[in-house]
Amino acid sequence: MHNSKAHLWFIAPAIILMIIILIFPLFLAGGISFTDYNLGNKTFEWIGLENYDKMFNRKTYVKMIWATATYVIVVVPISVILGLCAAMLLNSLRFGADIYKTIFFLPVMATLLAMAIAWEFTLHPTLGIVNSFLANGCGGAREFIFGFHWLPWVDSEQSWYAVACANNMDFPYWLKQKNTAIWTVCFIGIWQAFGFNMVLYLAGLTGIPRELYQAAEMDGAKSTWEQFKLVTWPMLGPTTLFVVTITTIRTFQVFDTIEILTKGGPSKTTYVMMYAIFEKAIQQNLTSIGAAITVVFIGFILILTFFQRYIIEKRVHY
Amino acid sequence: MEAKQYIGEGWKHAILIVGAIVVLLPFYMMVSMSLKSQQEIQSISGGLIGAQETQTFPVCVKTGYSEEECTMKPYKYNYWFAFEKAPIPRYLMNGVIVTLSIFIIQVLVALPCAYALAKLRFYGREFVFSMVLFCLLIPVHGIALPLYVMLAQAGLVDTYSALILPWTISVFGIFLMRQFFMTVPDELIDAARMDGMGEYAIVWKVMLPTAIPALLAFAIFSVVAHWNDYFWPRMVITGNRDLFTPPLGIREFRGGIDSDEFGPMMASIVTVTVPLIVAFIIAQKRFIEGITLTGMK
Repeated sequence: MHNSKAHLWFIAPAIILMIIILIFPLFLAGGISFTDYNLGNKTFEWIGLENYDKMFNRKTYVKMIWATATYVIVVVPISVILGLCAAMLLNSLRFGADIYKTIFFLPVMATLLAMAIAWEFTLHPTLGIVNSFLANGCGGAREFIFGFHWLPWVDSEQSWYAVACANNMDFPYWLKQKNTAIWTVCFIGIWQAFGFNMVLYLAGLTGIPRELYQAAEMDGAKSTWEQFKLVTWPMLGPTTLFVVTITTIRTFQVFDTIEILTKGGPSKTTYVMMYAIFEKAIQQNLTSIGAAITVVFIGFILILTFFQRYIIEKRVHY
Repeated sequence: MEAKQYIGEGWKHAILIVGAIVVLLPFYMMVSMSLKSQQEIQSISGGLIGAQETQTFPVCVKTGYSEEECTMKPYKYNYWFAFEKAPIPRYLMNGVIVTLSIFIIQVLVALPCAYALAKLRFYGREFVFSMVLFCLLIPVHGIALPLYVMLAQAGLVDTYSALILPWTISVFGIFLMRQFFMTVPDELIDAARMDGMGEYAIVWKVMLPTAIPALLAFAIFSVVAHWNDYFWPRMVITGNRDLFTPPLGIREFRGGIDSDEFGPMMASIVTVTVPLIVAFIIAQKRFIEGITLTGMK
């Protein structure tokens, strides 16, 4: 063993940066959240829990929590399930899997902001191809399929599609309408995220030994579904846990699509936390309330990650 | 292969093709709009590339160009006018400057630290490592506000430093490199010491070359994340166009959605989006590896 002090020089920059950039801001956010400090002010007062009180009682922030929760609860499960389905489909293909993989991974790579604008035009009420596609399909097969007329309980005269056709092509304004905006933003979130999950699941699937399927077959699990239940799903446990955690953390941080497409509206239905922090703290210079939202936000993320670690230790094993 | 299997395969492709169409829809819209004329965009006609009739563009004439300069095919006009209206090369260059600086500093900080954590024995090593593990839990976007307050107090808002500083420490990079260095045999390092190499030389001349594959994956991970990042630049760059990164440029092009011409706008957006997508298509395997790196945590 050598006696040099080299290690000090090796670790010092990293430690100093970790403290200044990652650890100190946590305390700073915590500290500011108990004050009425706004950027540019010379002085501030300690006001205790007032900011948090506002957060849980004012309508705006209650809506913020709702919008964030809705977004996460919709996007995470759907993008994980779609990722898994896509991975299993690709895994069972005889040819062409690589092309689909590339295509499905494109949204993960592409600048989300640019793609959000592209979606805005695709879904634009007058310029977009989605609504023109729908309008041209009135009375035809498209109406039958997308109006859900094939479901026995849907009245083909009263379906949303038929009503829109009858009312002079009154199709949804997707991002501009109170009852569709959040779902449209969720859709873009799913569109962007599922390819990432698919790739992780593809890696997970290659790790399952073939013999396990043979063994399952000998045990009487003949159908694909039974084999999935008996082998694939349990073996993918660790992958799933990881995919769910990472997707949740990313989903919590949604900002780009909201800022460019809806600005939190209409009437705060898409007012997610990251956008709220940006709007309050940067645009309206209400630093302290932004800090309180930050603290709650970090709290959510830390709870999630600890929860994940806990499950890893307790549950997931082969 | 039985007929039944053929049918099964056919169904799978049918489902995947529908999925692929939905995934590609906005890409199609983006490219198509960047090629077509305003009338074709507004009437949703002309398919992917439009009729490409040579015409004079009124917005261009209004901007002060002669009628002759403004007469050309729509695809040419859209891209030409996009470059006339906004300093696109500048935005792209800023993107390169910022992402490269971030990556280089991240490596300069992370590599020695990872080496020390993996191969040197010193008092407090376990503590430093657990600090790294703790910091892995902190999402940098989440603490953006306190970081912004700190930068504002230091008078650094609207500078390159503001774009780069918060990302100089990548705990994930340290963790990744440490895991990688653990697999490097001690004999290699001992041999280097016997040859009289100092610890610094070992890090940069012995460890760095062995780490190239891991480093390449990390480079892709880091560059893609920061090239596409919109939230942080939006926070710290308020109005100085000279510092705009590609996503900020995109936001500027969009402007008033109902007032401007859509063709040149989409042409700008395509121009700043394309470099990364082309790189991805060329080196797919490496990109997928790099971006899903987080899967190794």
